[in-house]
Amino acid sequence: MKKTLALAAALAGTLAATTAYAFPDRPIQIIVPYSAGGGTDLSMRLLAESMQRHMDGATVIVRNQPGGGGAIGTSAAVHARADGYTVGAGAQGPLALLPHLGSADYTIDDVEFIGLVGRNLQVMIACKDAPFTDFDSFMAYAKDKAPQIGNSGAGGANHISTEAFAKAAGIKVESVPFGGSSEAMAACAGGHIQAMVASPAEALAQVNAGTVKPLFVEEDKRIDIFPDTPTAVEKGVDFTWSSWKGIIGPKGIPAEDLEILRAGVKAAVEDEEFQKKMKDMGEFIQYEDAAAYEKRARKDSDTAEAVIKDLGMYQMNKK
Amino acid sequence: MMEYLSYLLPLFHPDVLWAIALGTLGGIVIGALPGLTATMGVALLIPLTFGMAPVMGINMLIGIYIGGIYGGCISAILLRTPGTPASAATVLDGYPMAQKGEAGKALGMATIASAVGTLFASIVLATLAPQLATVALKFGAPEYFALSLFGLTIIASLSGDLLKGAISGCLGVLISCVGADPISGVLRYTFGVSGFASGFSFTPALIGLFALSEVFTQLEHLGRSDGTVAKVSGRWPSGRDMRESANALVRGSIIGTIIGIIPGTGSGTASWISYNEARRTSKKPHLFGTGYAPGVAATESANNAVCAGALIPLLALGIPGDVVTAVLMGGLMIQGLAPGPMLFQSRPDVIVGIFGGTFIATLFMFIFGMLLIPIASKILLVPRRILTMSIVVFCFIGSFAINLNPVDLYTMVGFGILGWGMQKYGFSQAALCIALILGPLAEANLRRGLLQTGDDVLAFVSGPITLLFLGLSIVSLALPFIQARRAKTSAA
Repeated sequence: MKKTLALAAALAGTLAATTAYAFPDRPIQIIVPYSAGGGTDLSMRLLAESMQRHMDGATVIVRNQPGGGGAIGTSAAVHARADGYTVGAGAQGPLALLPHLGSADYTIDDVEFIGLVGRNLQVMIACKDAPFTDFDSFMAYAKDKAPQIGNSGAGGANHISTEAFAKAAGIKVESVPFGGSSEAMAACAGGHIQAMVASPAEALAQVNAGTVKPLFVEEDKRIDIFPDTPTAVEKGVDFTWSSWKGIIGPKGIPAEDLEILRAGVKAAVEDEEFQKKMKDMGEFIQYEDAAAYEKRARKDSDTAEAVIKDLGMYQMNKK
Repeated sequence: MMEYLSYLLPLFHPDVLWAIALGTLGGIVIGALPGLTATMGVALLIPLTFGMAPVMGINMLIGIYIGGIYGGCISAILLRTPGTPASAATVLDGYPMAQKGEAGKALGMATIASAVGTLFASIVLATLAPQLATVALKFGAPEYFALSLFGLTIIASLSGDLLKGAISGCLGVLISCVGADPISGVLRYTFGVSGFASGFSFTPALIGLFALSEVFTQLEHLGRSDGTVAKVSGRWPSGRDMRESANALVRGSIIGTIIGIIPGTGSGTASWISYNEARRTSKKPHLFGTGYAPGVAATESANNAVCAGALIPLLALGIPGDVVTAVLMGGLMIQGLAPGPMLFQSRPDVIVGIFGGTFIATLFMFIFGMLLIPIASKILLVPRRILTMSIVVFCFIGSFAINLNPVDLYTMVGFGILGWGMQKYGFSQAALCIALILGPLAEANLRRGLLQTGDDVLAFVSGPITLLFLGLSIVSLALPFIQARRAKTSAA
């Protein structure tokens, strides 16, 4: 598989050699800091395919470099040679959270933002047999008892976001970490925890089956999948959170090449076929240019920093 | 009923059959090559299925999954290199069989066992999926902890020397503590190496533990003997082998199916439990580990039954039981099909198509497996010194290919040296392997359970499933002593 890709890449490279400006004249590599097959990986594979169609003569390949909750692959992308041929999938966890936990050898200041590709919206759901069924009964319950809320990993995005919500809403929660979101969902559907944060796509099948109930959406406005579910904002809690992913690179890519990359990502995300496939997968596509993407990342990074300090987890893994 | 049968028709379209056949064959090759796992195979081929009809695309992926888990046994038997972690237990009897010149028979038995296991689990899948899926939801932290405790007690009966087995097991549990703490997220014992942040990678560790260690052992003997292996012949196990293995096959299939249904456990756990059960109930337990066909039958039937078993919670509840089914779920979602109870009502054609597809994939796996045996076992005709060196190359490439992380190479070499030392001084590598698989499951669930119950230890000894597994653990621990005593009294 890798071999054919490389061969195809070489072939495409020779064909493209006739164009005037040289970038890109060899394959561009997107480092995905997670294993093959996850949500970020599949999105990036679709994006790579779309980028190839929109960048003149480009070959774009995906390389998985998992480990350390995404820190290893992200570090590889941030510290790559700044020639524009190695970029990375810039996800929320590794960029906005891990540096505060002390488990990364980079900070958000080392990152060159290229373009946001999509967001994963978040819905808080009440698990099977939970003592609450909607936002109001959830808040009433959480005023004096701490509901057990599952997350997909200690120090991970939906652990931190749940704690951030609790802080904003002035309630108590007990976070219960699991090894991945499907483990948490199994516990949720079995009634072993009381609530969890899920993506709308993950939650939909369970909601339709009647095992879980959506409590609130962590967006500004209600979303199409759950039109009857309120947002936290409209219930008076100033809290929004979504996880996101985009394309990042190392600082110092030549300005001209960086522009080509940014334009390529923009065209690839706005591609109709790409949008359709992502939608079928339950992904929420949203293009943002480098400045908006960076602003979003820095805002979440600041929120996370405060929560991580409250939890006593700040720089806990510092070497 | 006729309506349901009509949903099977699209499966017999030549294009669909081709897709399943290609998927299965590709899966076998991927599984046989160390470093390429069924998970990667499915993930890498998902983009190919975008344009296909759901029944075609998903069944191709299921073919890769079934073929991939089966394929792992080929390198485990011939080269002592588990192609996938699921086949680590197959090394125990498969490799000695190959060394005795029975490589064909070992592979034949593995193929038959894999087919039987998958078929059994597929039948369960097609008939009882919605009913059984609810069992998966009964597992909370105490249940998982009891299950993993039961799994760990296998060490007592598998390792021969009890003290050395216990030492190996404890070492395995300690090694599995490296990496991020499952509950607090704090990094433990990484010594500042960021590559160890998620612990030792599993496949490189197993490749080192079983394959590289064997290379070291052989290097020691290389100068002394010419090291030719007896010639490879045949591929069908004898009638006697089949009769002796029948028990192992049935138990393996049932164990694999049940473990498959429980999310978060997987084929590694199933094959070890099945191996231990086969040995415990065998009339000739002393033959296990020396190249005894039922040992292969037990592990391969179990790990393949997990494949179809893991589809049960995925399809019936929308909850993937292991990494591969999580990736498969992605494949289904791309097709606009969210797995879950609603899918049975809204798209019965897809569900029936997947049921039928698992049967067809199993059939292809059996045919390809049997056809490949003479070709694959030719590897053993390669002169030993060349083969040994090739295995070293494979160990390195395979360990690096998984995550492209150089740290995995250190892991592989480190475990190779450890495994070599253990082998030399009679410590059980199997015990270490079991502890590596189950240690993290036990720890995470013990601590999660304590967190959820406010440190109530009693929660871990209540509930029917918990008590069942705890009871089994006690039996499993006590049995070696009872058997030894019985042997003593009957001898006297």
